[in-house]
Amino acid sequence: MQPADFDAIVVGSGITGGWAAKELTELGLRTLVLEAGRPITPEQDYTEHKPPWELPFRGLGDRRTVAARQPMQSHSVSFDELSHVFWTDDVDNPYSTPADRPFYWFRARQVGGKSIIWGRQVYRWSDLDFEANLRDGTAVDWPIRYADIAPWYDHVERFIGVSGQKEGLAHLPDGQFLPPMALNCVEQHVRERMAQQFGRERILTIGRVANLTQAHHGRAPCHYCGPCHRGCITRSYFSSINATLPAARATGRLTLRPFSIVRGLIYDKERNRIAGVRIVDAQTKAEREYMARVVFLCASALESARILLNSGVGNSSDQVGRNIMDHIKWGGASGEIDGWTDRREIGERPNGIYVPRFRNVSSRHPDFIRGYGFQGGADRDGWRASLHAPGIGRAFKARLNSLGPWSMTFEGFGEMLPRAENRATIHPTLVDAWGIPSLHIDCKWSDNELAIHRDMSVAAAELLEAAGAKDIRPSTRGPSTPGGTNHEMGTARMGRDGKTSVLNGWNQSWDVPNLFVTDGAAMTSSGCQNPSLTYMALTARACHYAVERLKRGDL
Amino acid sequence: MKRRELIHWLVATAGLRALDGLAPADLLALGRDVHRGAASHAARRTLTAHAEQTLAIAAERILPATDTPGATDAGVSAFIEKMLTDWHTPAERERFLAGLRDLDVRCHARASRDFVECSEADQVAVLTALDDAHEEWFGRLKYLTVYGYCTSEVGQRALGLWPQPWRYDGCAPLDATR
Repeated sequence: MQPADFDAIVVGSGITGGWAAKELTELGLRTLVLEAGRPITPEQDYTEHKPPWELPFRGLGDRRTVAARQPMQSHSVSFDELSHVFWTDDVDNPYSTPADRPFYWFRARQVGGKSIIWGRQVYRWSDLDFEANLRDGTAVDWPIRYADIAPWYDHVERFIGVSGQKEGLAHLPDGQFLPPMALNCVEQHVRERMAQQFGRERILTIGRVANLTQAHHGRAPCHYCGPCHRGCITRSYFSSINATLPAARATGRLTLRPFSIVRGLIYDKERNRIAGVRIVDAQTKAEREYMARVVFLCASALESARILLNSGVGNSSDQVGRNIMDHIKWGGASGEIDGWTDRREIGERPNGIYVPRFRNVSSRHPDFIRGYGFQGGADRDGWRASLHAPGIGRAFKARLNSLGPWSMTFEGFGEMLPRAENRATIHPTLVDAWGIPSLHIDCKWSDNELAIHRDMSVAAAELLEAAGAKDIRPSTRGPSTPGGTNHEMGTARMGRDGKTSVLNGWNQSWDVPNLFVTDGAAMTSSGCQNPSLTYMALTARACHYAVERLKRGDL
Repeated sequence: MKRRELIHWLVATAGLRALDGLAPADLLALGRDVHRGAASHAARRTLTAHAEQTLAIAAERILPATDTPGATDAGVSAFIEKMLTDWHTPAERERFLAGLRDLDVRCHARASRDFVECSEADQVAVLTALDDAHEEWFGRLKYLTVYGYCTSEVGQRALGLWPQPWRYDGCAPLDATR
């Protein structure tokens, strides 16, 4: 047995890798974080304050380069002319799908991972979610309940800073909130009208978002400049770079190695332990190995599954790579709200409204199980409405300064059921630029998701009617492409039985005790809430468990 | 600490750790400065001098200087040239250039002169006819003119979009000072 170079290795420096780094180092472990991508220096790499005229294409993007190098990544909602550098190159990082079943795999390789470009919406789960599989007989039961994770939600929220409004809903528990961001006047109106019509059954609240509304642990409050996905020099939203990695570094026990692509885990058959990790240097292509006593995979749901499958460990259940879930989108509606023509928004609020799930909460919907939440908001069109408007000259130009009527929009985020056939496997021939076998991803919506998608537009129109909207326009878009919400999860699920799940209730491999997977791969069901908060809470919880077991000599 | 010193100190000490000790107000001030500094964009050419002049005048007729700057002040034709050169496909570029040539044809039919030599009234009449007919290439010209103007520095300032307000008010009076 080789001596360990480190107490712990964390694969990935994104939203969960950063948390693992922070918790493990603070608990005393000498920790190596392996990041596949480049280092990030905020004052050079963040571009959120660049004015549009400094961009060669003024925000329309470098169309030719994008088509050549990032045809998949560019479908992400926060991909733009500046932020594109935070997504991977599709040529160097290929994957395949069946021709008739596209899947968007949005990936980020740099220190901070996708925590730089995430949407920052953070919602707790409740037992409506943790008991869902058991209640309707889907897949396998979660091995944990809300009571198991609630203190870890507290722990995470206190550190990252979450602004939000307490609403007292049992199925969307309140958290440790900083002051909420403001609703605008029309959103406030819609909230009140919905309360009159639907009482507590359907409520509208301000989004719960990991953007600071007051100074927090040395980070500045949000200044409402807008494009968070380009970085944040004031560190006003939570990312690994902005918060967890500096905390880990402050312990003196963090070693961060960028450009370290994990080729596979090194399995010690005699001890039934992961001995370490084999990497290839992204720049030199040289291989090397690092040994440690415990390994955390935090590489993102599909990348962690790829590492497990390429390593041939942890998969006695045959569940690794299966049960891919995302959230279905593109159902919803918008409509015009009369009034407030003498009012407007000032500044760019990096947040919208949230309507917590109301389907299958207190009554049963005939067409589907589970449900969805709405995000969205109210705003007025500015100069962009003139891009296709008639006229030229003085009067046309004056139009640029005017604002359109208030428009209110609801966009659904629907739960996806775990199904074994939605599966990622190792491609027989396709490899990435470093010779590592790539994934073949085969995933599609089931009838339940499609029924949810249809209902989103019906219910959104009802909400707009209740709000007194006119010219209500239900979404005419079909369902989003799986993966397109970038909430992919489920590829190494937790469970109560090692025969049907990959991880136990502590994110620990059933097969190899010193292996933990704490990113989205661990999810047993998908809920309809944005999932990152739950990933972070599970990571912190698993770290404390692992350190306890290490100290007892059990790992 | 002066802002310039702050930046030098930051660059010298590099990265995450340097930001840890700063007060929020310093961070904010710093953010304003480090993002400054325009990228320079090399000028490859697609337009002849005549075509460039035609484009500049057409854009100015769409968004004329009034009590606020117009398309020429905003450098709209340089932006459109950049788009034609490095963004559009060859087929899209050719359609656009054919559209510019068509302006001359139409002005000759009307006043026996090239577009650039026509009276302002004739230029406006030709462009208005294209707009009324929903001519596809003209729609593209108008889109690029509006987009280029509204994302230019003079356009952003004229529209009150720059500098950014650095605060949020969800129910401000229309004429509120930012």
